[in-house]
Amino acid sequence: MRDYWLSKLFFDLQAPGVAAAYRADRESFFAKYSLQNEVQNALRSDDVPFIAQRVNPYLLRYYFFTVGMKDEEFKRRLRDG
Amino acid sequence: MARLVGAFAASHGPLLVREWNAIPADQQRRLDSAYREIGSRLSSAKADVLIAVTPDHWSNFSLDNYPAFCVGVGATNEGPPEPWMKDFPHKELAGHPAFASHLVKTALDAGFEPAVSHRLKLDHGLCIPLWRMQLASMPAIVPLIVNSIEPPFPTVRRCLEWGSILRKAVRSFKKPLRVAVLATGGLSHSVGEKTMGAIDEKLDKETIRLFAGKPEKLLSYLEKKLPKAGNGTEEVRNWLVAHGAADCRGFELVDYLPVPVVIVGCGYASWRTGG
Repeated sequence: MRDYWLSKLFFDLQAPGVAAAYRADRESFFAKYSLQNEVQNALRSDDVPFIAQRVNPYLLRYYFFTVGMKDEEFKRRLRDG
Repeated sequence: MARLVGAFAASHGPLLVREWNAIPADQQRRLDSAYREIGSRLSSAKADVLIAVTPDHWSNFSLDNYPAFCVGVGATNEGPPEPWMKDFPHKELAGHPAFASHLVKTALDAGFEPAVSHRLKLDHGLCIPLWRMQLASMPAIVPLIVNSIEPPFPTVRRCLEWGSILRKAVRSFKKPLRVAVLATGGLSHSVGEKTMGAIDEKLDKETIRLFAGKPEKLLSYLEKKLPKAGNGTEEVRNWLVAHGAADCRGFELVDYLPVPVVIVGCGYASWRTGG
């Protein structure tokens, strides 16, 4: 099942400058994208398995790459989740 | 009349750029050699137009609308949007609106309905192969985006049939264009899944073997295997389009090597197109 607004957030982060703005202030994006509270909490805590159930895997990988998670850590959290 | 002067396939993957220096030297040499060989053959073919059969990694399409097939009909295509592709030497790549529009009309006349875009961003999926091939000159690019990223996917049979549409469009274009096809992506890989990093060498080798035989066996095999393979493996659809364009004549395998650092079973092929 796809979470449309979460997917849209990840898609929009690809525009120039947007990812940097998100990294600087995630909270301001949460309201703009109508994200459910549990989704917001998952983003705050970098909960990879929770988010993985709601977005396309390529967008998932892009998101955690862009917020600075190393691939090995990303893969570990995916496997262990 | 236009002519089909070549059909090729080459893998891609972001880590071919971002982690190039971490790839073992012997694999670097083979990858470099394979890309250059494809580039050399494409340059020798003197293609005026390159139909680029490639996925869209969320560069153009989103959940708002993700077409199964999209033809780029614009005069200009944008270069890769990914920040880590900033050194790719082309910010824009010329299109070929006349041939692209003819391709769309050929498809519609045959009962195929592609989406159409007048300006596409061509992401790393195409631009890494173009970059590594070191072409003598860049042909006009007519993109055919095939959805292998976000389900539901077009059937593998439909992808093969799209190849015959490309062939028909080339043969029925009235001007003396030299047209080549480049399929990018595959072979096996897994991105953003629990199996991320897994390469299924056995699946890749069997897929390559089946490209030499009857299309029905290849299609049947892929229909059975793709749903259980890593998600990146879905990009073999692009190879099927090239295969159809080459009238299923089979290809010469330039190289195949699983590259764990890149997390891709990297394949490079050159079809016998028959002119």
